[in-house]
Amino acid sequence: MPGLRELQRDFRAALLTGEASALAPFLLGDDIRWESRLDIHRNNVRGTLSTVLVECFPAVRRIVDARFFDYAADAFLRARPPVSPCLHDYGADFPDFLANFAPCHDLPYLPDVAWLEWLLHRAAVAAETPFLGTASLAAVTVERTPVLRLHFHPAFGLLQSPWPVEHIWEANRPGQESDAPIDLGSGGVRLEVMRRDGSVRLRSLDAPTFAFRRALHEGVALEAAASAVLALDPDFDLAAGLSALFGEGLVTELST
Amino acid sequence: MTSTMRHSAPIPARAGLGLRGPHLAEVLATRPAVAWFEVHPENYMGEGPALAALERIRRDYCLSLHGVGLSLGSAEGIDRAHLARLRRLVERLEPGLISEHLSWSVSGGIYLNDLLPLPLEEESLAIVARNVETMQEALGRRVLVENPSAYLRFRHTTIPEPEFLAALVHRTGCGLLCDVNNAYVSAVNLGGDPRAYLHALPPFAVGEIHLAGHFRTERQGRTLLIDDHGSQVSEPVWELYAEALGRFGAVPTLIEWDRELPSLDLLMREAARADGIARRALDGADRARVA
Repeated sequence: MPGLRELQRDFRAALLTGEASALAPFLLGDDIRWESRLDIHRNNVRGTLSTVLVECFPAVRRIVDARFFDYAADAFLRARPPVSPCLHDYGADFPDFLANFAPCHDLPYLPDVAWLEWLLHRAAVAAETPFLGTASLAAVTVERTPVLRLHFHPAFGLLQSPWPVEHIWEANRPGQESDAPIDLGSGGVRLEVMRRDGSVRLRSLDAPTFAFRRALHEGVALEAAASAVLALDPDFDLAAGLSALFGEGLVTELST
Repeated sequence: MTSTMRHSAPIPARAGLGLRGPHLAEVLATRPAVAWFEVHPENYMGEGPALAALERIRRDYCLSLHGVGLSLGSAEGIDRAHLARLRRLVERLEPGLISEHLSWSVSGGIYLNDLLPLPLEEESLAIVARNVETMQEALGRRVLVENPSAYLRFRHTTIPEPEFLAALVHRTGCGLLCDVNNAYVSAVNLGGDPRAYLHALPPFAVGEIHLAGHFRTERQGRTLLIDDHGSQVSEPVWELYAEALGRFGAVPTLIEWDRELPSLDLLMREAARADGIARRALDGADRARVA
């Protein structure tokens, strides 16, 4: 008789990989074979987790079609099963998984569409977090300013892509499907996703604004982020660029 | 009734509804006459807009938290981070009841999104009892443990499920959530008498009843019932519900519906049917006692 820990390990393997030989001796079959009984649980696990992915990545699913999506989702579930019962976090690794998933290498824009859908999903569910007003910036002392680091709202996200992913996403999002051809060479995007007053908003940023926000979002200190953006665009209005971050409710915390 | 009174009120012994994301906005806008709501805490642990909506609903309704992710049957113990998230929600929402399942879903840190079966024997009883104690200590209160739907059995199970649950109550002081649909589904799937099952549970430990729909399928020419919470409560389960009330007395009852979620109206009609059955069953029981 196995200990419960070993039994659960074997049960887990049977559900994720289909390999049930270690578990088989401990299951009772009767008029209904144990394999059929175990399949109920396997279908529950795969069914509910693939529903999570379907709901999170509808445009990716339309692009690759439902059958291929199920195939990719199944491979993802095996490779990266969830580690938390909070399933609104599940799928964060799916864009990265698709980027390395050989069967969709002929769709090089697909991982970026998946990233965009993930950022939109995360923006919709992210924690309600109070943000800092412009006044909190004024309270920062001169000595602290260069080394200041900004912490962004959990709904905030940035995506840069060499592909026109906003168009691709628009044409494949639920309720807006279009089969009009998209010119994949029509240029890349710098996108920002945020939630404000309960609704998720997606917009394009110009190159310097994107660079400034990305550096700060990645944790670069204010002076270094400012030097980098000024190297890119000497006319960039730093004061306005900084104050906009607070005016738009993107900053939740300051540290040095 | 003032909102302060509602805050401290326990869940009423009437039929409430499982509240799902798609209905949050309608409940907020229309404040339907529902006795109480139950939610899965895992859906609110991100502390996003859905939790803000639920907090507003909580001001006007009693609420129960019904966990699906704590994995009370895990041999590796329960996830402390998940328990801490649950505690934070309990502090914010002040639920009237908190429940979980006699099942497991975590092994090796991997979360399998299902209520998986346990062999029922001494080792698993000790493990579940320890995990229930951990949960009750962390939350500072008694929790209810629900009987799951069963599809398969282990060779080394030695303790019948009602006895296992009674022993759990005895060891931990927890209460039970009797899912009448699950009792029926398990009895059909594994062979057994669901009425005898209900009568074998310790009656005073049952603090809540669940009702839901299932669907019928076949394997190797034999019937298997799948507990999918995707349809109305079936007639045999309604009959069993009346039996359960006669045994457990007036306890809060929940209508659960997850797959192909219907309108709030249809859910409220199911709750009204449960209330009607409860009135007749308990009325009959009172008369029987007087006689």
